[in-house]
Amino acid sequence: MTHESVPQADGPHELLAAVRDLTRQVRVAQRGTWFPLLVFAVITLIAIPVYRYAPYVDLFDTCRSSPQHTVCMAPNPTELGYWTVALVLSYAAIAGFYVRQSRRRGVGTPIRPYVVVGVALAVLMTAVSIWLRLHPLVPVPADPFSTDPAAIEVGPAAWLVNGLASPIAVIALALLVLAWVERNWALLAYSLVYLAIVMVQGGQVIHSTSPWFFLPYLLVPAALLLLGSAAFALFRPTTEVPGR
Amino acid sequence: MTDHPTNGLDDVVHQRVRLGILAIAHQARQVEFGFLRTTLQLTAGNLGQHLNVLEKAELIQIEKGYEGKRPRTWVTLTATGEAALRDEIAHLKELIQQVEHAETAPIADR
Repeated sequence: MTHESVPQADGPHELLAAVRDLTRQVRVAQRGTWFPLLVFAVITLIAIPVYRYAPYVDLFDTCRSSPQHTVCMAPNPTELGYWTVALVLSYAAIAGFYVRQSRRRGVGTPIRPYVVVGVALAVLMTAVSIWLRLHPLVPVPADPFSTDPAAIEVGPAAWLVNGLASPIAVIALALLVLAWVERNWALLAYSLVYLAIVMVQGGQVIHSTSPWFFLPYLLVPAALLLLGSAAFALFRPTTEVPGR
Repeated sequence: MTDHPTNGLDDVVHQRVRLGILAIAHQARQVEFGFLRTTLQLTAGNLGQHLNVLEKAELIQIEKGYEGKRPRTWVTLTATGEAALRDEIAHLKELIQQVEHAETAPIADR
């Protein structure tokens, strides 16, 4: 029996078709999409107790106190610290996973661009977040203790900068690079849908006094990532190289 | 001598198994003997012969080692191999274009 990608005739059409088919087979064997999605789902879920219970560290002097309350006008810097460390560790784990998979399957992996872009985006996210703390795009209210909701007009530039400061959006941007590295159309479609959902969700401000107000911002992306991971795991190749 | 695309074909590369090996090594950067054997559906001896031809032509580099107790042979495309693969594909595309042009051209033009 012969394989369909190894043609029996040496005509130019057959040879080119064989090259294309072999390239496609290698790309499929190089994929490990389920793992990064699972890692990001896990760090998003771990962020929930960090957001809820980590003590506020007023690094940027954004808190104002009255006899009854203390109001802080920026997210907890601990959250930023958590995301920076978690993202860098995630990319290290993902690189290790792809290298091990590459040895097991017997095909090299072109994962380096994804890991480099992912770490660069994590660093950029941290830098943009710190810059936003020092130069807020949204004007600071005159009375920080006012409970009246105010409508704020946000332009596309502010929306983009806020997106770059969002760890959830930064994960999605790096996934677009992974889709390109893996030449994976399914992952490209998934990443675009995921990015659209988290960007739309990030533009909504829930007026709430609940200490769990942040929950939808983390649970929705975590659920999407878990579902994506399960779906890609179902269709992953399981080829292992027989020794020589 | 004409510049017909068949003149540019390299006998070492213009062979379906060897072209397959180069295509796989190009996409994978580094590929293991077992993966090549399974994907190309060859016997170890047959694949070994083709690898020797490509290695002698300096189109690939072969590294042998162990992973645990399992012997492993890794194949990497050299810069010469990369260029040879690119040339072969360009010549094949040119050939197809010429054949298609000849088929669609009026008889008087042939």
